[in-house]
Amino acid sequence: MIKRWFKEFKNLGNEEIEKIPDEERREFLKIGLIITGVFAGGSLLSVVSKVAEGLATPEELKNNYPYKPHYSMVFKIDLCIDCERCVEACNLTNQVPDYGWRTMILERYSSKAVDQKRIFLPILCNHCNHPPCVIACPTKATIKDSQTGIVKMVSYKCIGCKTCMTACPYNARYFNEERHAVDKCDFCWEKRLSKGITPTACVEACPAGVRIFGDLSDPLSEVYRLVHQLGKPVWVLKPETGAKPNVFYTIS
Amino acid sequence: MKKIIKILIFLSFLLGFSGLAYLQERSEEGLVIPNEEIGAPEIVYNKPVKGVLFSHKYHVGELGLSCESCHPKLFEMQALKAQENPDFNMNALYQGKYCGACHDGKMAFASNTKCATCHIGVKGLKRLEKEMKTGKK
Amino acid sequence: MNLGKYLPGTKASRFLLGLTFLVFLISMAFGIHAMHIGYRHAYGVTREIPWGVLISGYVFFVVTSTGLCIVSSIGHVFGVKSFIPIAKRAVYLSIITLLAGFMVIFFDLENPFRMLIWNLFSPNLTSNIWWMGTLYGVYLFFMSLEFFFLLVEKHRSATIAGLLGLISGVAAHSNLGAVFGMLHGREFWYGPYMPIYFIASAAASGCTAIIFFTYLGYKLMNEKMERAMEISLQAVGKVWALVLAILMFFTTWKLITAFVGGEGKILAVKELISGKYAFNFWFFEVFLGMILPFIILLVSRFQNLTHMFIASLLAFIGIYFMRVDLVVLGQVVSHYFELSITDFPTFLSYTPTIYENMIIIGAIAFTILTFLIGEGVFKGHKVEIH
Ligand code: HEC
Ligand code: HEC
Ligand code: HEC
Repeated sequence: MIKRWFKEFKNLGNEEIEKIPDEERREFLKIGLIITGVFAGGSLLSVVSKVAEGLATPEELKNNYPYKPHYSMVFKIDLCIDCERCVEACNLTNQVPDYGWRTMILERYSSKAVDQKRIFLPILCNHCNHPPCVIACPTKATIKDSQTGIVKMVSYKCIGCKTCMTACPYNARYFNEERHAVDKCDFCWEKRLSKGITPTACVEACPAGVRIFGDLSDPLSEVYRLVHQLGKPVWVLKPETGAKPNVFYTIS
Repeated sequence: MKKIIKILIFLSFLLGFSGLAYLQERSEEGLVIPNEEIGAPEIVYNKPVKGVLFSHKYHVGELGLSCESCHPKLFEMQALKAQENPDFNMNALYQGKYCGACHDGKMAFASNTKCATCHIGVKGLKRLEKEMKTGKK
Repeated sequence: MNLGKYLPGTKASRFLLGLTFLVFLISMAFGIHAMHIGYRHAYGVTREIPWGVLISGYVFFVVTSTGLCIVSSIGHVFGVKSFIPIAKRAVYLSIITLLAGFMVIFFDLENPFRMLIWNLFSPNLTSNIWWMGTLYGVYLFFMSLEFFFLLVEKHRSATIAGLLGLISGVAAHSNLGAVFGMLHGREFWYGPYMPIYFIASAAASGCTAIIFFTYLGYKLMNEKMERAMEISLQAVGKVWALVLAILMFFTTWKLITAFVGGEGKILAVKELISGKYAFNFWFFEVFLGMILPFIILLVSRFQNLTHMFIASLLAFIGIYFMRVDLVVLGQVVSHYFELSITDFPTFLSYTPTIYENMIIIGAIAFTILTFLIGEGVFKGHKVEIH
């Protein structure tokens, strides 16, 4: 653990440019100035889950992203207009009852804010690398898929103790009466991904390009590029819980 | 006589229901909240996406824009008319049509910025609907 | 049928027996109806606050059970002479309070029957709730065994079963604390404090319960307390005062340290001490649950059992609110409170429904009912002192 931290720290110190893939390096040089600023400041990196590893070698990459594909979602939140087509699509695809939700849009509003007073913040299950819900479930009714990293439900094992609901820092779970089990976003695994349909229903429905879905372990994927760029801030919600979410937020 | 009354009652019911249905449809399409002071309403578009607010109160009342700056060149004086047009979307705005005539980054903030200012979203829509029902301003 | 043989005692005790039986039946009807219409409609819990008074009630009963086990073990397992007279009743009570707890959790779990299967076939060893459930099962087994050995006067075996019961009980109970303490998304609970606090608070509950029920038992059966039993209860009183002091100490530091914690924790604690839960906290939890019993104990100089009984009654009420605060406060701060969200208020609210309250009342009735039956059937849990 400490060793890894130290390594990350070293990576921060001397950016080993020769190890970076070509494409990455171009990006890197293009925004070189900003990078220096970020590194000097440091603070930005501490909130970003994985940026330091973004400049890592392939095998390090593999260590950082143990799943293949390592499903992940990135939100360009400034584009979100709360048209809720994503929510509608999700509800339809996954038969979400009217008393529950798998994804929702939060509205952040501050009358004291300078200029723009409102911004929308889409949320869903963060498919954490250290999922508190999976740790807490007594009967392994919720699992972290060892292939894809998706946090799934095994509905027939759910005893309905609701510990996962209290454990989840993101309010991503609800009890579904029809399923007799807690229900949550599974990145449309059941209804789409497992049948070879990508992306998820919400991503497909979004008219504003807010949601980007893909394989975080693939350096060519858009999610990879968005998460590992340094020009714009990339952050996760509630990093202090240590859950290591796989849902990232950035701006367009 | 009785028959006539019956028919009248029946007709008024029919009218009432169709009126209701019409109202329902209107609120699906969008929201028009009258404003006595300005003499022009607040309008929420629901097509193609839900929840875009245009406020006469702000544009006329607070900014003091004259009616002529929009009517009839950019918009007809009929609420929710513009959203019937197939090109009432962001691309048109970026090309300087509709709201984009002013929201081009020079006269007013550009249409490709501050999305959540024009777009009040489903949440904003529901809030306004509720305010309208309860008669609050 | 000659029930009277099993149910000696005063009219009051028989009346209470009938009453608690009736209340128990009514509450069962409520519980089953809730199950039928679906807990979402029957209970006040929500997606954001999924744990309500039923979990509090469960905690309340199993804390009491563990506490009774601890108290009984002082005499029984560790051989402190003055604690021996209370031990048998304490063991019996610890079994019935645990069953009452199970009854409450039965109506909280959405699929209680699945638990029996998957707890066994699909255990998750990282889950505190799994350990808690399983260890409580083991605990129930050992306590029943201990009680059986006590009945047949096999004291060596009883001691061993008691020791194993104590170990599994304390393990189960600290795991219950850890169920809360290891939820790192919930700042109010998170940390090593919970398991430790739970054990301390179990000891307090145990002392409360044994004083309450022993005194009540003698009064209802209209029997004069033996000198040995009096001495025993007075000794329990002293332990109780000590544990209460420890609890006050814990609570104080919990509050003080919270103010250098994360913002979520500060908010929760502020809500507790000066918000909507302030009355619960200051009046029930602090005053009734800790300070007043402590003062009564000191004033009665651990001699006057009637005073101690009153103290234990007050403490019971206080402890119930203590559990409610503990469970609910951990969830009231909205998940995204830092982000000035309009969708959820900073403080979420939860109000228990009649269904939830009736189930708690039913569990209390069940405890008193089985306690009364126990007094009758086991003839006042008399223990010969060797
Ligand atoms: C900033 C642009 C703008 C200005 C300035 C403006 N309007 Fe409008 N007005 C609109 C738009 C947009 C609509 C809706 C048209 C549509 O939906 O197709 C509209 C619609 C209307 C309508 C139709 C409402 C209904 O219920 O059908 C009236 C009446 C109207 N405006 C009056 C005025 C008056 C009077 C003024 C001057 C005091 C004015 N407007 C100034 C943009 C403007
Ligand atoms: C005649 C020019 C003009 C047109 C047409 C116009 N606006 Fe505006 N609008 C302005 C100006 C000027 C401002 C204020 C300047 C700024 O905030 O940058 C403004 C501000 C706004 C604001 C910000 C209000 C606030 O409370 O801060 C919104 C929302 C808005 N316009 C929506 C629209 C929409 C929707 C349309 C099209 C239906 C539209 N406008 C058409 C000129 C126009
Ligand atoms: C000046 C006000 C304004 C701003 C700013 C604005 N929009 Fe729009 N938007 C509109 C109007 C008007 C419509 C058409 C009416 C409707 O869809 O209800 C629209 C429609 C849309 C649509 C559906 C039609 C389409 O083009 O596909 C999307 C998606 C959209 N906006 C996204 C955005 C995003 C993303 C932003 C920020 C980058 C943004 N909007 C900023 C006014 C605005």
